[in-house]
Amino acid sequence: MSAHPDGYALLKEIIDFSASSLPIETKLEKILQCITDGFQSDRSLHLRPEAILKDGFLSRVAEEKKPLWVDEERPFQEEGVLAEERDLLCPAFGCIPLSDEISFQGIFYIGFSKGRTFSSSEIELLLLLAKEIGATIRNDQLHRVAEDHERRVRQFSTLWELNKALLTTVHFERIVHMTLTAITIGDGLGFNRAMLFLVDEKGHVVKGTMAVGPNSAEEAGKIWSALSQRKGNPSELVAQLESSTENHSILNSIVKEIEVPLEHEQCILSRTVLEGRPFNIRLSFEGEEWVQTRCERGCALSSEVGCYVSEHLSRNPKIYAFATIPLWGKGKVIGVILVDNLFNRNPITDEDIRYLTMFSSQAGLAIENALLYRNLEEVHQELKEAQTFLVHQEKMAALGELSTSIAHEIRNPLVSIGGFARRLDRTLPADASEKRYTRTIVKEVERVENILSHILTYTQDEAICVKTLDLREVMEESLSMISEGLRNGGIQLVKTFSEQTPAVKGDYYQLKQAFFNLVSNAYESMRGEGRLSIRIHPYKKNGASFVGVEVEDTGGGIDPEALHHIFNPFYTTKDNRLGLGLPIIHKVVTSHQGQIEVDNHPGSGATFILTFPAQEEKEK
Amino acid sequence: MKRILVVDDEESIRLLYKEELEEEGFVVEVARDGLEALQRLPLFKPDLITLDIKMPGLNGIETLKRIRETERQIPIVMCSAYGEYKQDLTTWASDAYVVKCADLTELKNTIRRLLGVL
Repeated sequence: MSAHPDGYALLKEIIDFSASSLPIETKLEKILQCITDGFQSDRSLHLRPEAILKDGFLSRVAEEKKPLWVDEERPFQEEGVLAEERDLLCPAFGCIPLSDEISFQGIFYIGFSKGRTFSSSEIELLLLLAKEIGATIRNDQLHRVAEDHERRVRQFSTLWELNKALLTTVHFERIVHMTLTAITIGDGLGFNRAMLFLVDEKGHVVKGTMAVGPNSAEEAGKIWSALSQRKGNPSELVAQLESSTENHSILNSIVKEIEVPLEHEQCILSRTVLEGRPFNIRLSFEGEEWVQTRCERGCALSSEVGCYVSEHLSRNPKIYAFATIPLWGKGKVIGVILVDNLFNRNPITDEDIRYLTMFSSQAGLAIENALLYRNLEEVHQELKEAQTFLVHQEKMAALGELSTSIAHEIRNPLVSIGGFARRLDRTLPADASEKRYTRTIVKEVERVENILSHILTYTQDEAICVKTLDLREVMEESLSMISEGLRNGGIQLVKTFSEQTPAVKGDYYQLKQAFFNLVSNAYESMRGEGRLSIRIHPYKKNGASFVGVEVEDTGGGIDPEALHHIFNPFYTTKDNRLGLGLPIIHKVVTSHQGQIEVDNHPGSGATFILTFPAQEEKEK
Repeated sequence: MKRILVVDDEESIRLLYKEELEEEGFVVEVARDGLEALQRLPLFKPDLITLDIKMPGLNGIETLKRIRETERQIPIVMCSAYGEYKQDLTTWASDAYVVKCADLTELKNTIRRLLGVL
């Protein structure tokens, strides 16, 4: 015996390391070093179960579960030693299997280059130490299992919370936002960004619908630190996030632009839908093993989405990892969830994918329900509009029929009354007092005839004579029809006609009548004083071109009570008026596929905004 | 002297038109419906006809067709409270279309233009 280790001190040292929070590899290293030092041995090793080769002497030790001691008193039987094991054979060594009833943690080995004899107390101490090593390894394994379980419990509780939260609403946007947020908050899946693409069956495309995630690493940092300060379970967090984030992020707008045809079978998005399975993809331009075949557009993903990914979604396309998960509705894929860890670069594990798949099957049903509900709402709204329109049409048709027949019946007697009154008037001497009566009859008949022709203009479906028109010219014509009396007051006319105003297809006379009504209404509302602004300009909406015609007056606006009725025929607030001016405008504008809106400011003025679809370039 | 046949189912209108047009120096006869107009045509031999549209029995449009079967040259002025036939009738078979109005200036001008008496 060359050295006699202090057993208690050594054991205490080892237990201290075992109980420390060091990683298992370091712990074992330190413990083995202590033993080597304590016994002044040449080396001590932990041989892991997978390192023990079959049919060698070590495997015999493991099978027999009995320690092997070799020293001057106990020579080694050199049978069945593998070439790889020869290195372990030295004048004195010990091999102690680390096992209990259930598991086997390998073999503890201690070797001496000089011959010696193990005393019984040394053997006892080494057995004790080996037991401690085994316990340390087992503890670590248990700890890992416990951690894993804890994580699963957390994940399931997120899933459960999300499920509860999803049940609270059928609002599509909210459900999608909640789902994507749950994917990105720390206690949930903790991905940096999540995007949803939905299948549009009519268009046979996958369309970007919504994205949740920070625009930059800085923003990501802010959000994470804010999140860590928030308390509450995931559904509360989701609700808080939902109320606090208006989703106007750059990412969201990029994703909404993405549209991939399902025929693009190379595209990961299409493939996720068509094959109905998740994809976990990591791109690296250097590491050969990850590089995919290049698609036609030259991105590193064998897919169209790769183009978007490398061009838009990732700022550092050299390393980019993302995963796609199909979103299942009832028996079919209704969309794709795409997740990535752009900012913290955490790898996406198969475990993540499994969990996400579980998650997406829940979210899928909720999203599908919300979609159905939204469709239902849309259809309901359309039906309501159609009903209102039909009722209006029916009213108009009835009114039209009625007034046409009335107009005809009244016109004939009017011709006689007015005609004979004129004859009478002509026969009377210029100074006759009866002349006043005949004049009145003639004038009143004229008024009634005017009313009749107004009614007939409104109710008759005059054929539209379509021509290419410049609305600026039509407006100028209408302005020239305004009577002197109205024009010569203290009213300032401001015309702003854009040079770029495109042509419009329409009926010249009808539009002239509509503009005339609009402008004379505005003039009349100002009672001789104020400012009349007329603006004509082009504008674009959803990619289509329109011409806007705005007539703004300072005539005190429209009484809010009256606002709902102004387009109803025969509604008027002015004396001696039939109330067909605005209904005629409305009729003309809608028959030109245009729209009319009122921007009303009671007390100051009103702006009538008319929009007409511009004639398409190629038609010119 | 130019001869005008006024066809209208309303007596007051017939009277008004007759007096007004006679004052303008025309010889005027009246008919109360299409059938009567067709009967008077060969005897009276008018230079111009004013034709109401809505009449009991043979209406203005039918009458117009019948007249045109034999008389292709006589100018015919449609007079109606309805404005909607204006385009159809003027392009098809009548020479003018006047919407009825207490002020007969338009009617008189139309007649003078068609008869070439200004």
